[in-house]
Amino acid sequence: MANELDKIEVKPARRQFLRGAAALASVALAPGLLLYQARPAGANVDSGVRWGLLIDANALSEDDVDACVSACQREHGWRAEDGSATDAQWVRKVKLRDRASGHTRFLPVMCQHCEHPPCVDVCPTGASFKRADGIVLVNKHTCIGCRYCMMACPYKARSFIHEVLKDQLPVAPRGKGTVESCTLCVHRVDRDGADAVPACAEAVNRAGRQAIWFGDLNDPASGISQALREFGATRLRADMGLNPGVGYRGL
Amino acid sequence: MRSWLLVLLFCCSGIATAGESSGFGQIAIPSPVKPTTADSCVEPVEVMRREHMHFLLHQRDETVIDGDRGSRHSLTGCMDCHNPATAEPVVRYEDPEHFCAECHAYTGVKIDCFECHADRGLEQTGQSRRDDQPAWRAERNRLTAMSLQQRLEHSRGE
Repeated sequence: MANELDKIEVKPARRQFLRGAAALASVALAPGLLLYQARPAGANVDSGVRWGLLIDANALSEDDVDACVSACQREHGWRAEDGSATDAQWVRKVKLRDRASGHTRFLPVMCQHCEHPPCVDVCPTGASFKRADGIVLVNKHTCIGCRYCMMACPYKARSFIHEVLKDQLPVAPRGKGTVESCTLCVHRVDRDGADAVPACAEAVNRAGRQAIWFGDLNDPASGISQALREFGATRLRADMGLNPGVGYRGL
Repeated sequence: MRSWLLVLLFCCSGIATAGESSGFGQIAIPSPVKPTTADSCVEPVEVMRREHMHFLLHQRDETVIDGDRGSRHSLTGCMDCHNPATAEPVVRYEDPEHFCAECHAYTGVKIDCFECHADRGLEQTGQSRRDDQPAWRAERNRLTAMSLQQRLEHSRGE
């Protein structure tokens, strides 16, 4: 489906203005004293890649999905307290049941790392942002806890921390008053690049059985791109044109 | 702003000295215990005393937005040395003897770093140690080769 947002053209005059604005982004008051300095694009995040997941719904049993959830909890130190509606949910177990046949299957549903994330559009402080490599994150340093992003997200992927927390893990700082969601195991991605395996994938992939692929959607030679070519994938609510980075096989 | 802060610091130190000489102010000047696990800090002590907040403020954006996990100025790095996982008994930021809390209590500084961040070094299961990471090693070597002035400019994003 052609993406609606891709059709929006930036007019040349506007483009000129934006270019001028970029030049003004560094304002020098005096030699060596800057009012504001535009930061160069991150040297560590490659804007040429787009990380994504392909989840094989055919290969995942209910136990596998549970294993995904508990692996994510161990990796990032969150847990569902008492099953209340306000619990942290970085990845949820979703049950699909066909009423006619009674056929049931289970899916892990996490942040879908959209190309056009609505959570980023609505954030008043810019805390909800998409990294250059396509990973959608919350910058908790600037998150004010307004929860607009939670309302905007059609996948219910984000949760809000209501309680004072202790013993957070070094790789996953999280605290009261901020919103959080799946980070695509960004600390592993930054460490291992294309060889990274998110915790959920690590929990369910076995020798000879790949159930969750992680990789660069922009690289036609990557494992995930080959699997997508071979199996195809369903994007949840593809009609909204958000182009999620997470795809499901066998829905 | 910075020079203003410096003036304020000088005033504060003046008051502290005056207090000591006149017999008032029985509050001991903090001297946090230095770790024995490393030969030196990532910067000279006098630089860390004045600049650590700028290092951390700059580094947090580099990590969250740009994905730089190998920075030498990381809060995780501070805690790995100054409050390691192996420390007994376990010390929290709420405890007056926590490495960060000691000086912050003395200077009346309130920070909220540890509302989200771990206040002690923790061994992460399945994670490699920072020193095993090639990116971290390369960055450390590059920065060690720089002069102090260059490093300060680098950490201020100049």
